[in-house]
Amino acid sequence: MTAGIPEFIPADVRARLRDLRLLARRPSGSPGFGGHPSRSRGAGLEFAQYRAYQQGDDPRQVDWKLHARSDRYYVREAERDSPLEVWLLIDATASMAQGDAARPGWSRLDAARGIAACVIELALRQGDRFGVVTIGGEGVAMVPAASGPRQRNRCLLHLHRLQAAGAWPAAAGLRAVGERIRPGALVLVLGDCFDEACVALAEQLSAARREVLTAQILTAEERDFPFRGGYRFTDPESGEEVLSDGASAREGFLERFAAARHALAARLAGQGIRHFEYFLDQPLDAPLRRLFGRASVDAGPERS
Amino acid sequence: MSFGLLLPAGLAALFALLLPLLLHLHRRTEQQPAMFAALRWLKVRQRPQRKIRFEEWPLLALRLLLLAALALLLAQPVLSGAPGGERWVVVAPGIDRAQARAALAAPDAAWHWLAPGFPSLERDPPTGTQPLGSLLRELDATLREDSIVTVVVPARLEGLDGERPALRRDVEWRVLETESTSSPAASPRPLLLAVRHALPDDPALRYLRAAGAAWAAEAAGPAANRARIDIAPASEPIGPEVRGLVWLAPGVLPPELRAWIEAGGTALLAAATEAPGPDAGSALWRNAAGEALVLGRAMGNGRVMQLTRVLAPANLPEILDPDFPDRLRALFEPPPPPDSAYAEAHSPRSGGPELPPTPRPLHPWLALLVATLFALERWLATSRRRERAA
Repeated sequence: MTAGIPEFIPADVRARLRDLRLLARRPSGSPGFGGHPSRSRGAGLEFAQYRAYQQGDDPRQVDWKLHARSDRYYVREAERDSPLEVWLLIDATASMAQGDAARPGWSRLDAARGIAACVIELALRQGDRFGVVTIGGEGVAMVPAASGPRQRNRCLLHLHRLQAAGAWPAAAGLRAVGERIRPGALVLVLGDCFDEACVALAEQLSAARREVLTAQILTAEERDFPFRGGYRFTDPESGEEVLSDGASAREGFLERFAAARHALAARLAGQGIRHFEYFLDQPLDAPLRRLFGRASVDAGPERS
Repeated sequence: MSFGLLLPAGLAALFALLLPLLLHLHRRTEQQPAMFAALRWLKVRQRPQRKIRFEEWPLLALRLLLLAALALLLAQPVLSGAPGGERWVVVAPGIDRAQARAALAAPDAAWHWLAPGFPSLERDPPTGTQPLGSLLRELDATLREDSIVTVVVPARLEGLDGERPALRRDVEWRVLETESTSSPAASPRPLLLAVRHALPDDPALRYLRAAGAAWAAEAAGPAANRARIDIAPASEPIGPEVRGLVWLAPGVLPPELRAWIEAGGTALLAAATEAPGPDAGSALWRNAAGEALVLGRAMGNGRVMQLTRVLAPANLPEILDPDFPDRLRALFEPPPPPDSAYAEAHSPRSGGPELPPTPRPLHPWLALLVATLFALERWLATSRRRERAA
């Protein structure tokens, strides 16, 4: 790991990253050479199609054996392996600063950073291109997609400087996001998905042929609601306050919250978005393992 | 054995119990702040429960206990009734310890001196004359009714009062013959009365001189023990052996005379003398009609007596009475009260007043309890705080 940048990934998680592999469901559309199947045709190992000879084709590409049989000129084309473009879209609004009382100093944003760092490591290992978009109170900040260790350092530095503050920006500020992320890219949205605009952005990207994955980062308190006694709950973004008794509010909250989570999962699944939940007390690689581990091989076309 | 309170109003301090209750209740209503982004699913306003609940039960209970103990301490609890009847032997001072123990075979008895506080016989014998009658009554009132008391006294008792003590129990009255080591108290120096007058022909001087002559003519006792009188003008200084002064000069009391009185002297002032201090005093001499003739009061360490009328037969016919010398002497030298008797004749009577049993105060134990509770409360409160801070 590069010196000077704090370690986002614990050692045990880093060790477990070894057998993970980023995979896209759809063929990649990125130019260049990489390790992922792409829609581009060209030189490669995997046969794709025969095409009638056009003027300008390299004569070496003509399949002469086929010409001998059919007396026509065909050009043999193969699928070209392309690199994957991975975008990490991180919600950096104020609600991401929330953490658990049981583990102070470990907020949603810290977890998002950790997951993002894991993905960056994977992408770097595979030679894929990756970029980071953070959306917070200060607007949209971006590290344009590129590959290589220097790109990783750029991204990690950007993550390191990230602060959770403010609310989700207006839709006008988000247009750059859609413009920068090219079709076919893998977009991993890391956030609490409490903002309707955030979910809408994910849907928009998915509808525009980006492969979107959403990771809803939730605290253990939101799952268990362990509050007892009088509490003044404050929404960090709107500043709203609710005075409530922990024990008596628990049941209603858990019920409503579970319903809301199910509704969100159903809605995103309907849009073809792979959605998963991550709780702050889980290990960092748990969501990645579910998405990219051996068990989820069927999620994308396997290439040997 | 029964429990009682000497000051039940002290229990009003139990109202202080409300204080820790309020403290622990007050914390309950405090709302802890918590950041919670999923607020919209919590929106339904659920009022915090109004059920009365207290935090930190053990600490609250300890504090309540502490305050209750303090209130009880204020109410002065007593335990009446001694644990059981005992056998007491009290020995009057003046008797040899070993002699008393030898005379009385009571090995299991508690041996005490008949002295204030009833010290154990192991202690040094008390000195001086003890008020025996009063001590006997106190002992009788303090001990339980079924206690057995033996009193060991010398043949001759001193320090008695006017009445044979009437006790509610029959005490065993043991008279021991002792060598009369205590000789009759050495008689104090004889009275030397100084008379200081302003006028040499003061009519009072005649009578005072006559009183002095009467003292000198007293038959009993050696001549050196007789009271004397010394008449001189007011300007004469007062000799060191003078023990009483009659001041017949009118006007303000000279300061050196006042200093002499305050140093311990006794002075009889004429009616015309202006003495500092309060006018009133206790009547030391009344005439047959009950009117006060001499008023006495303290001044510094000494005593001031003032005549209420002029010392002349016209105003004070009592000076013509034959007992005037004795009266005058008694003013300066009050006769000792009759306080000695033969022990055989002074055994306590039974049938004394029925007294309520003397209750035993529970202060020390309760104070100990309060201190322990306080220490415990502090420990619990601070350790809790430490735990919370950590």
